[in-house]
Amino acid sequence: MAENKGVAPDERTVIGLSFGNSYSSIACTVDDAAVVIANEDGDRQIPTILSYVDGEEYTGGQAKAFLIRNPKNTVVSFRDFLGQDFKSIDPTHCHAAAHAQDVDGGVSFTIQDKAEGEPSTVSVSEISTRYIRRLVQSASDYIGKKVTSAVLTVPTNFNDKQKDALVKAARDADLEVLQLVNEPVAAVLAYDARPEAKVEDKTIVVADLGGTRSDVAVVASRGGLYTILATAHDYEFAGAHLDKVLMDHFAKEFMKKNKDVDPRENARSLAKLKAESEAAKKALSIGTNASFSVESLAEGIDFQSTVNRLRYEMIARKVFEGINRLVEGVVKQAGLDVLDIDEVIMTGGTSHTPRIAANFRSIFPETTVVQAPSTSSTSINPSELLSRGAALQASLIQEYETEDIDQSTHAAVTTVPHVTNAIGVITLSEAGEEAFTPIIAPETALPARRTVHVEAPKEGGDVLIKVVEGNTHIKVTKPEPKPKENGAKDEDEDDSDFDSEEDEEEEHREKIWKIGTALAEASVRGTKKGSKVEVTVQVAADLAVTITTREVGGKGGVRGNLKAP
Amino acid sequence: PTLTEGWSAEKDFKPVASVTASTKRTIEPIGPHFLAHARRARHKRTFSEDDRI
Repeated sequence: MAENKGVAPDERTVIGLSFGNSYSSIACTVDDAAVVIANEDGDRQIPTILSYVDGEEYTGGQAKAFLIRNPKNTVVSFRDFLGQDFKSIDPTHCHAAAHAQDVDGGVSFTIQDKAEGEPSTVSVSEISTRYIRRLVQSASDYIGKKVTSAVLTVPTNFNDKQKDALVKAARDADLEVLQLVNEPVAAVLAYDARPEAKVEDKTIVVADLGGTRSDVAVVASRGGLYTILATAHDYEFAGAHLDKVLMDHFAKEFMKKNKDVDPRENARSLAKLKAESEAAKKALSIGTNASFSVESLAEGIDFQSTVNRLRYEMIARKVFEGINRLVEGVVKQAGLDVLDIDEVIMTGGTSHTPRIAANFRSIFPETTVVQAPSTSSTSINPSELLSRGAALQASLIQEYETEDIDQSTHAAVTTVPHVTNAIGVITLSEAGEEAFTPIIAPETALPARRTVHVEAPKEGGDVLIKVVEGNTHIKVTKPEPKPKENGAKDEDEDDSDFDSEEDEEEEHREKIWKIGTALAEASVRGTKKGSKVEVTVQVAADLAVTITTREVGGKGGVRGNLKAP
Repeated sequence: PTLTEGWSAEKDFKPVASVTASTKRTIEPIGPHFLAHARRARHKRTFSEDDRI
């Protein structure tokens, strides 16, 4: 991370800022709870757009409206251009607005940002600075104090150059960057910081479905520490592609009524079509019907139509399936199975789409919690997760000296060994079979300490505690063997619930713990009837293990050490 | 499971093996538990020492 100039901790006013390609969001904390701040237009999701009309600067929703009348002086989708060589950027999303230009290898835009005179060539860094300045102003107005510092979210595939460029752009906007945090973990933190949330060992898939890109990450959450196991990034299946589906749909309908007039062939008509299609898409996330109406769409002809959700889901199926594949791919990439996933956190604007959540619901087992508005009543607005997470982190570290933050986030602190296998004890099932009860989950960061209570034998007496390693495998039971394993589950051809129910009958997959290497044995003597035994396992950073066992409520207990390998 | 007859070990504890495998991974520097971890790591404290403070 670039060097921060630093604001004294007691003079800080902090916010969380999620700076996206399509939308940005700002949040602060009030009494330890995160609050997303609306700008002066009342928007909490503020379009990442900067526009100039007669020398006047507009951002957010107002700037977005100028995409129709004033596209050349409007800059969109520029976040991913920060710190990038011109050669490596994909300017697709800028076609309908100010075009990206190559200036000394970097990215710039030529816009008429003054009331008179020649157009200026403005670097993407300066564009970002101007936009961030306006966001910070909105936050300052809300809080009533000048915002000095922020935690910003970044995608996991942002390289150091991009991060430095972002920090520089923010600093030029007079904003101290306390820390850059990865987007998926900001989303996880937003959930874990709720008062009702419990810190548990669980494996989470974060699906960040945005406007111009979709990012999926598998995060191991162990004792409140987060480790990213795998990530995937996709630029083909995102919100803009859903807009495109609706644009094509309405354009064709328009052409049925008006022969030889394609609203997609005229830039201004296309801009109107796009704006209204995005609005229709949002309406379809809330209701089952959406109207579409544009005055003078093309050649002075007004156009009105409606679309229902079912029809939309049919025409958008390819995009939805792409998102499914992305999620399934990243789980596989982490070396896991969908059965290993405890929770799916949906974030980003496109996560409001009910069909995508429904698809995830059918990909993952019933025990997996899918956090989306349509599948969970306790879910948080997917558009707000990143800025909330950032705001919470900002409030946690605002009292730290800049030097402390840099030292704490240093690789020496963050790079630690993680156990590959689970560590647990052997317990007896009711049938008397040996089973594995995990104490420390696989991929737990070290050092770690966990305690479990296991049932002592009903009749009491002396108990033998066997501490072993374990790992999981997937047991597939199929009444009728099928040639392709797992195939029935992936296809989900016609998206009907009926179909997926049939699949479950055909094959049953379950997660089984396999007992591995024995680590230690210990005895707890003379337990009472029906009591429990407490086993604490502590693994140090050098993999040395300390095991403590005692009867619950009892005194003393047995303690032993395993040497580091 | 019940203790088998004749099982004995020094102080009732018998080490058998060490943890076999681990991987170096990077934890995300975010959240209250990470900050607690960073504090322990920088001051080289153990869990129980940290609990007492």
